[in-house]
Amino acid sequence: MKDDFWEITDQPLDIGDISRRVVPAECGATVTLDGYVRRFTNGRETEYLVYEAYEPMALKEMEKLVSRAQEAFDVSNIGIVHRIGKLEIGETSVVISVASPHRRAAFEACEWLIKELKRTVPIWKKEVYADGEIWIEGEGSRD
Amino acid sequence: MKVKLLFFGATADTVGKREAELWLDENSSADSALERIFAEFPILEQTHQKPSLLFSVNREYSRGDEIIKNGDELAIFTAVSGG
Repeated sequence: MKDDFWEITDQPLDIGDISRRVVPAECGATVTLDGYVRRFTNGRETEYLVYEAYEPMALKEMEKLVSRAQEAFDVSNIGIVHRIGKLEIGETSVVISVASPHRRAAFEACEWLIKELKRTVPIWKKEVYADGEIWIEGEGSRD
Repeated sequence: MKVKLLFFGATADTVGKREAELWLDENSSADSALERIFAEFPILEQTHQKPSLLFSVNREYSRGDEIIKNGDELAIFTAVSGG
């Protein structure tokens, strides 16, 4: 749809702003995913994360996801914003916002979008611990 | 002919750079370009499981059979982990 958006930024994400950027007249619900940095992963404590993107390709892949979701689900508007750079614990790394006439389609599309984003969009996460750091590979299969 | 090769995240750490130039024969396929990359940067195979690495040509995931052209942008990286 014409108001769909997909973006990558190194600035903090304002969830409310992204969620409410588009409020289509025919819609009754927006489902918004607020993905943020977790402190404990498999029992190991993370100090902070660094996200890196292959930005032009990541934007192309995000655009493909949006158009595939528009075909597969009865939704009106989709917005995806991913943050890159250094993120502290609890900071939002990704927001996916889906508005639809009825909520079920928005929940389903939102779940599908985050699952596919984690599988296909060239963005990588480095977890930094007190005693080292590691680039995470293939997070998509974890949850 | 000359192409641009990009590394990201773990592969950039592995090779110690983010970008390189690669000389290929005319009409090389993506698969043969990938073999050239492994030959040129043997540390990639020593550090990563070869089948786990992803390869793109001009910002699209490679199918393997594309014909590479002069000036193309190739990239090699590990399985993605955004979100």
